[in-house]
Amino acid sequence: MKLDWKRGILYLAVMGMEACWLYVLIALLNNKAAGDHLSIAGILALYPASLFFNRLLGRLRWPRACLLGVSWLGWVIGMLLIVKVQLYADIPLSESAWLLSIPQSIVHVIYSLKPEFLILLSTGIIWWLGQRLASRDVSFPMMLRKFQFGLIMLVLIFFAGSRINAVPDNQVPAALIFFLFALFGISVAHAFENTRFSGHNRWPWPGLLFISISLILLMGFLITLMVTPELLQLLWTPFKWAWGLICGLILKVIQFLAGLFPQSEPGKLPPVLSMPPINPEQGKPLAIPKWLRSSLLFTIGVFCIGMALLALWRITSDIFYWLRHKLADMADAEIEPMPGAFKTDFFRLLKYLFFRLLKLRFFFRLRNKEGAVSPEVVSIRKIYRQLLHWAAEHGCPRHISQTPYEYCRTLESLLPDATIDLNFITQQYVMARYGVLLPTGDTLNNLSRSWHRIKQTRLKRASAEQSSGKEES
Amino acid sequence: MSIIQLAAKRLVNNVGEVIVGKKETIELVLVALLCEGHILIEDVPGIGKTMLAKAIARSLDCSFKRIQSTPDLLPSDITGIHFYNQKTSEFEFRPGPIMANIVLVDEINRATPRTQSSLLECMQERQVTVDLETMPLPRPFLVIATQNPVELEGTFPLPEAQLDRFLLRIGLGYPTKDEEGTILSRFQRSNPLDSLTSVLKTDELLKIQELSGQMYVAESVNNYVTAITRASRSHEDIKLGASPRASLGLYHASQALAAIRGRNYVIPDDVKHLAVPALAHRLIVKTEARLRGRSAESILSKIVSTVPVPVEDQS
Repeated sequence: MKLDWKRGILYLAVMGMEACWLYVLIALLNNKAAGDHLSIAGILALYPASLFFNRLLGRLRWPRACLLGVSWLGWVIGMLLIVKVQLYADIPLSESAWLLSIPQSIVHVIYSLKPEFLILLSTGIIWWLGQRLASRDVSFPMMLRKFQFGLIMLVLIFFAGSRINAVPDNQVPAALIFFLFALFGISVAHAFENTRFSGHNRWPWPGLLFISISLILLMGFLITLMVTPELLQLLWTPFKWAWGLICGLILKVIQFLAGLFPQSEPGKLPPVLSMPPINPEQGKPLAIPKWLRSSLLFTIGVFCIGMALLALWRITSDIFYWLRHKLADMADAEIEPMPGAFKTDFFRLLKYLFFRLLKLRFFFRLRNKEGAVSPEVVSIRKIYRQLLHWAAEHGCPRHISQTPYEYCRTLESLLPDATIDLNFITQQYVMARYGVLLPTGDTLNNLSRSWHRIKQTRLKRASAEQSSGKEES
Repeated sequence: MSIIQLAAKRLVNNVGEVIVGKKETIELVLVALLCEGHILIEDVPGIGKTMLAKAIARSLDCSFKRIQSTPDLLPSDITGIHFYNQKTSEFEFRPGPIMANIVLVDEINRATPRTQSSLLECMQERQVTVDLETMPLPRPFLVIATQNPVELEGTFPLPEAQLDRFLLRIGLGYPTKDEEGTILSRFQRSNPLDSLTSVLKTDELLKIQELSGQMYVAESVNNYVTAITRASRSHEDIKLGASPRASLGLYHASQALAAIRGRNYVIPDDVKHLAVPALAHRLIVKTEARLRGRSAESILSKIVSTVPVPVEDQS
């Protein structure tokens, strides 16, 4: 019974870690594909379902192919259930339109990421992870591997999110929960396997676990306080300056070397040839078709990302392998007890960090005294920027001399369904940009909802047209 | 709804009893009133310029005087004179019509430049100097001048210094078909101007004038105002651009318009809306541009359509 309880904790830790990075990944794609319309919790609920289902299947003595078939049948049912509940709740189950939307989303994946495809992909990964976990016992090395992989995935997702300007809302809590699960799982796995870093066994493992988690969280908190965008900018500036200097020097050397060569005398220009007439009907014989170009770009992109992931995975695996060897070598080492030394050093470090932090805060507060903008205003301006970007991408950019209200009227003529939301966003933006009052939390939530509705306008209209077409037929 | 917006609504509705369908023009007059600026109403005869000025004056609980400008009008007819009182054997000051809260200067371009110049000190410094004695003018003080742009015979065009003292130059324009029908039916039996009552008291007006000056102007909007006026100075078709007084006028007028529209902050729409009425009359268009049919209004509209509005970058 005790063993089952321990295994349950380890399974929970692994599931927690994987659920965290999966959450951030799905949230990022959800923002792009469905305008945050999908319920990620609903999709992630498939993970425990997959684990339990596959563990139950594992007890049956059926052939492996049969087990696999049944398992993936379970995934198909789960996936269809999620698609139906989350996207087509209003359409009757008997209608085939919602079923056809899944293959359609696969066909159109080159052009746009659709919510149906996102559900298909995410549930597939989740089901596979659950299936994999169900067939294995969780050990300390496995826990470490899961932590490494999850960490890399989180970093990559955050990086991708910042590049495409679609940072998920709950990324920080998700990352913190990931670290909590990782710390918890690694410590518990280590304690169960009874392998310790030193030969002493004086402290019980829950105490060690608690202290290590507390210390890491404290360090994380201090780092988040210290490392601000201004500090990073300050650190980055000398590098930027040095890089500019080096480039400038290289350029000057090249210019000097080029100056050593004698300048050629300008010769007589050849007579101007008349251009042959261009026949648009004829077309370009060697032009690559657009669909082929898109497919090639997609393949190359996938290949490059895959190679980068593989390289990262390899490097981190080697580092952790080396660390594990080092730790294994230290198993028999004797540690000289120095009572009070750790405490003294630790407090000295904390004191030093505290004063450095105070100095930095004072310095940046002085720098940012003027021109500071409240986070509420920043969020509203960000949403409005996204709206401008979105409208520009859809062929309706704002003219430089258009005021927000003038531009709103232009957009209203193009999107009559979104008039209320467009007006609301514009009004809030104008208040935040030119006014003095700060928006409330409710306003920000409503604003966010309005923006998502605008993004979905086209999608909704398309689906409405589709359903009305079916009714007519 | 704010105090200023309520007062503005009352005044616009009241004037609207006489002037049919010109709410935007009435709003502009109110803008000038809130900024303590002066208005030049320029349009063809019979449009209702004098009627508008009278309706505004009647709607305010202020003293009102009218000056009918003619070529033989003298500066002393405006400012007042010291006359010898034989009964008291002393010189006494008889104030001219300028000593009122609302002064209607009708057909201002029919007065001689000498007489027109007597208004300069009054309009800018809100004081009058007669026989070395300087007297302040009552508060609030508003000059509403009218002029006819088509009849030039026997008129004296206003000098630039005089024009620069007007905060806004507005036109009424012909009414629409429906509006003209309403005018006929409304004026069928009696003149509605006769029954017009005041809806805004002097102290109330002074209070909202003070409040109007407190409207918040963001730094970006401030820069937008200066960008427009500076662009007018460097435009190829303009000989003389807008002055710093014009920038200041546009700034204050935008504050007043924001207040009238129920906001406590100015937005670029306010500035854009007021750019032509506040700046066009202060510009001197080059002769060659005028010959090509370009007016100050059209040039200014073009300038406004090229100056970037302070909004987020969409890239």
